[in-house]
Amino acid sequence: MTSRPDQPTHYTPQPYDPYAEDESASTWFNSDGQPPHQQGYPYDEQAQAYEQQQAQYAAAVPQQPQGLHDDQPTYALRTVQYQQVPDDEPEYHIPETPEAGWDMAASRRRAWVSRAVLLCVLAIQAALSLRLSNTAFQDEALYIAAGHAELAHLLDGTPLPIDYAAYFSGSPQLYPVLGALVDGQFGLTGARCLSLLFMLGTTGLLYSFTRRLFNERAALAAAALFAVLQSTVVMGYFATYDAMAVFLLALATWIVVRTDRAPVAAVLLAAPVAVLAVGVKYASALYLPTIVGLALLTAWPHKGAKSFLRMVLLGLGIGGLLLAGMYATDLLAGVRQTTTDRDHGSDSARFLLQRSMEWGGLMFLAAVGGAVSYVRRSRMNESPVALRLGSPGWRWRAMLGLLLCGTAVLAPAYQIHLATVVSLFKHVGFGLLFAAPMAGVGVTRLVGAHFRYPQLGIMLWTAVLCLGISQADWRFGVWPDSSKMIRTIDSHVDAKGHYLASTPEVPVYYLRDRTTHRQWQGVFGMEYTDEKGKYRTGDDAYRAALREGEFDLIVLDGLTNPRADDVIAAAVKGNPHYRLLGEVPFRNSSGTGTYRIWIKTS
Amino acid sequence: MQSFSRIRTALAAGLLTGVLALSGCSVLSEESGGTSSGGSSSAGAGEAGAGADAAASPEADVPYDVVPLLKPDKKYFGAAVEGAPNSMKGIDTYTRMVGKQPNLIEYYAAWGDGFDATGVRNAWREGAMTLMSWEPFDTPVADIAAGKSDAYIKEYATAVRKLNLPVVISFADEFNGHWEKWGTKNVTPKDYVAAWRHIHQTFVDVGASNVIWAWSPNIVNPVGSVKLKPYYPGDAYVDWVGLIGYWTIQEDNAFDSVFGPTRDQVRTFTEKPMILLETGAMAGERRRADIRNLFAGVAADDDMLGFVWFNHKKRADWRLEASPLALKEFKRLAADDSFGFDVRKP
Repeated sequence: MTSRPDQPTHYTPQPYDPYAEDESASTWFNSDGQPPHQQGYPYDEQAQAYEQQQAQYAAAVPQQPQGLHDDQPTYALRTVQYQQVPDDEPEYHIPETPEAGWDMAASRRRAWVSRAVLLCVLAIQAALSLRLSNTAFQDEALYIAAGHAELAHLLDGTPLPIDYAAYFSGSPQLYPVLGALVDGQFGLTGARCLSLLFMLGTTGLLYSFTRRLFNERAALAAAALFAVLQSTVVMGYFATYDAMAVFLLALATWIVVRTDRAPVAAVLLAAPVAVLAVGVKYASALYLPTIVGLALLTAWPHKGAKSFLRMVLLGLGIGGLLLAGMYATDLLAGVRQTTTDRDHGSDSARFLLQRSMEWGGLMFLAAVGGAVSYVRRSRMNESPVALRLGSPGWRWRAMLGLLLCGTAVLAPAYQIHLATVVSLFKHVGFGLLFAAPMAGVGVTRLVGAHFRYPQLGIMLWTAVLCLGISQADWRFGVWPDSSKMIRTIDSHVDAKGHYLASTPEVPVYYLRDRTTHRQWQGVFGMEYTDEKGKYRTGDDAYRAALREGEFDLIVLDGLTNPRADDVIAAAVKGNPHYRLLGEVPFRNSSGTGTYRIWIKTS
Repeated sequence: MQSFSRIRTALAAGLLTGVLALSGCSVLSEESGGTSSGGSSSAGAGEAGAGADAAASPEADVPYDVVPLLKPDKKYFGAAVEGAPNSMKGIDTYTRMVGKQPNLIEYYAAWGDGFDATGVRNAWREGAMTLMSWEPFDTPVADIAAGKSDAYIKEYATAVRKLNLPVVISFADEFNGHWEKWGTKNVTPKDYVAAWRHIHQTFVDVGASNVIWAWSPNIVNPVGSVKLKPYYPGDAYVDWVGLIGYWTIQEDNAFDSVFGPTRDQVRTFTEKPMILLETGAMAGERRRADIRNLFAGVAADDDMLGFVWFNHKKRADWRLEASPLALKEFKRLAADDSFGFDVRKP
C-alpha cells in the first residue's frame, strides 16, 4: 500500500524531522480528525489527495449528508456500484512511515538536555568535594609554602630557604606559585577551590571529548562515573598540583579529539598544553603516549593515512618542547629524584593491586566491558539508520579500547614496580580519566538500547558513588587536624629557632609569617656535626643533636615515621634540655593518635 | 510510550538514588560532627561542672602552656593560708591585710588524697596559681618508686591534665630533714629520686604537661651533713628548686645567712630557678628587719622567682597578724610592683 518508488507518483515523501517544529504535528490531523486548512506544509499534497477521494465518494453516495464535519460515508448495507479504477494507479496513498521515530544527528534540544544532566553531575562532584574538611595535608602545606617563598623570591628577591626544584615532583614555579597567589588572597579554602575548578573542568572536558568520540549518553555516563571517584573527589579539594595536571592532560586530550577532522597541523595546539601538564607534575609524562596515540586513532576514520602524520607531528611537537624545557630549566635533577629514580618502597604488589582495585576497579571493569562490547558491536544508537552508518573497523575499535583501558593500568603497574602506595590514589584517577570514555560506553551497553535495564547503570553508579564517598572521607582523615598543635606551638616559634617536626611542612605553612623551611628538620634523615666536631647521620645525628639541645621545639605525630619518633622520644626522655609542652590528641582515619610536643627550657 | 515511561522511571530512580546518597552523606557527616561537637561540649560541661573558667576560653582544648610561668618577669607573691584555696575566704582576709592579692597559694595534701580541682579553679579565678605540697605520710617512698601507687598517680595525673590549668607540685618536701616521715631516717636518696622520676614520668605519660615540678629541700643550715645532690632527680624532672627556710631568732637574719648555703650548694648541680617555697619570720623584735631582708633578698636575685609566706600558727605563730608593726612593713614592701602579677596573664 505504500507508494512505490519505481512508479511515478504524485506523492513525494518528504524528509522526516520530528524536532524541526512542534507545529508540524498538527499537519497530520486535528482532534476532530480533519486535516487543517493551512497551506504551505509538506503534507499539503497528501491532504489534497484525501479531499479528492472524499469528493469521489460524495458523488457516488448521494444520500449521504455532505459537509466537512460529517463522518466518512459508509458503504455497509448498500450496493456500491463498481467503479473502474485503473490497475496501475493506487486508490489512495498513506504517508511514508519513517524508519526511526527520531533522528540520530545532534540537535539543539538534545545538546541542552545533556548539558543540564552534565550540570547535575558537576553539582554532585562539587558537593562531594566541598564536604571534605581538614587542615592542610603536608603536601598541600609544602607546595603552598614553597609557592609563597617562590613569590617572595620573584618579587622581592628574597633568597629561597631551600632549593625546592631539587626535590619537587613538579616545577616549583608553576602550580606552587599559582596556589600561593590564591592562598594569599583566599586562604587554603581558596586554593582548594582552585583545585575544584580544575577538576570540574576536567569532568567537563571528559564529557566533551567522550561525546565527540562516541555520543552524549556515553559522555554523560563517563562524566558521572569519573565525577564520583575517590581520586576526583579528593583531588578536587586538595591544594596540590595534581588537579591542575589532570586538567591540562584532559585539555590536551580534548584538543586532540576535537581537531580530528581539522587540518593535520591543528593537533600541535595540544603540544604546549601537554608539556605544561608535565611541567606542573612530572609524572604526567606517563600519559603523553596515550595522547599521541589518540592523535592517530581519532583522525584515522576521517583522514586515513594522513593521521600518521598527525601522530608524528604531535609526538615531535611534544618532544621538542620537552627538550627545550629541560635545557631551559634545571628541573632534570628534581625529575630524577622524585619521579624516575624515586626510592623504592616496600609495599607488596598484592597490596597495591588490591588498593588499585578498591579505588578504581569498578570503573576499570566498566571500561573493559565497554571496550570488549564496542569491539564486538560498533553501533552506538538505537536508530536503525545507525546500522547503515559506516563504522571504523573492529581493529580500530580494538586499538582504541586497548589504548584507553591500557592507560588506566599504567600508573598502578609503575607503582607496583616502585613498590610504593604513595600517591597511588591520585594516579588511579589520572589513568581512569582516559578509561572513562570506555567506561561510559560500558554503562550505555549495560543499560542497553531504549534504556532497557536502567537499574544496572544506576546500580553501578551508586556503587562507585558509595565507594568514592567513603574512600574520600577516609583519605581526607588520614592526616591529623593540626589546628590545636599549631595553637600550642604558636607562641614558641620565631625566626631564629631550630625545630624538629614529623611534618615540618605543616607548621612552616601555618606559621610562615615568622618561620621558614630552613629552620625545620624532618624525621626522614638528618646530618649533624656535634660539639666535638664529629659528623653524624641518621639516628645518631638525632640523638647527638638532642643530647646537645640543638632543637628549640620538637613536634612528633607518631604517624609519619614511627620508628624515628621512637628514637627521638627515647632521646628526649630524661633529657635535661627538654620539658613536655603538651600532648595534643587527635582522631584520624586509622583511629586516634597524639601530637607530643617538647620545648627546650634549659 | 513505553520507552518514555521507562526513561522517566530511570531518571526518577537515578535522581532518587543521588538525593538519597547525598542526604545519606550529609546525615553521616552531621552525625560525626554531632558526636565530635557532643564530645567537646560534654568535655566542656565536665570542666564547667567542675567550675572551670578556662572552659570558657576558646583555647580550653589546647594543653595549657606553663612555659611563661616558669620564669616570669615579676616575682611570685605567695601565701599558705588555712583552708585555701578550697575556700578562698582566708585568702581574701589575707589580701585585705597585706594589701595585695597573692598569686601563688600553697596547700598541703597527703599521699592518697584526691586532686583538689575546685581549689585550683578557685585560686585561678582570682589570678593565683596553686602549689600543692604532696606529702607521703602513710606510703613508703620506695613503694611509690616501685610502682605500687601507680593507679593512684595515674588517676591523679589524669585529673590534673583534665583540669588543664597550671599547678605546682612539690613532692615530699623537706626530704633532707630527719623530722619528716619521708626524711633521711626512712628514705634513701636513691629511692627518693626513683620515686620522683616515676611520678614525673607517669604524669608525662598521661600528658599532664601543666604541672610545674618544684623540688623542695629544707635549707641546709640545720642539717648540714646531708648533701642535696644525691636527692636531685635531674633537670629533666624538675622545673623549680623550692627552698624551705624560716627566719628564727636563734640564727643570723641576713638573707644570705638563711638561704645562701643552700643556694650555693644547689647551684653546683643545677641552674633551675629557685623559689622560697615556704618561708616566714618568727614573731618578735626582729621581725620587721627579717621581712625587709626577705623582700630585698628575693628582689635582688634574678633567679629567685618569689616566695610563699607561711601564714599558719604551727609550732610557732608565723601569721603576719601576730605583729602589727611587722605587718605594716610587709604591706609597705608588698606594694612594690615587682611583687605579684596575674598568673592568667604572665
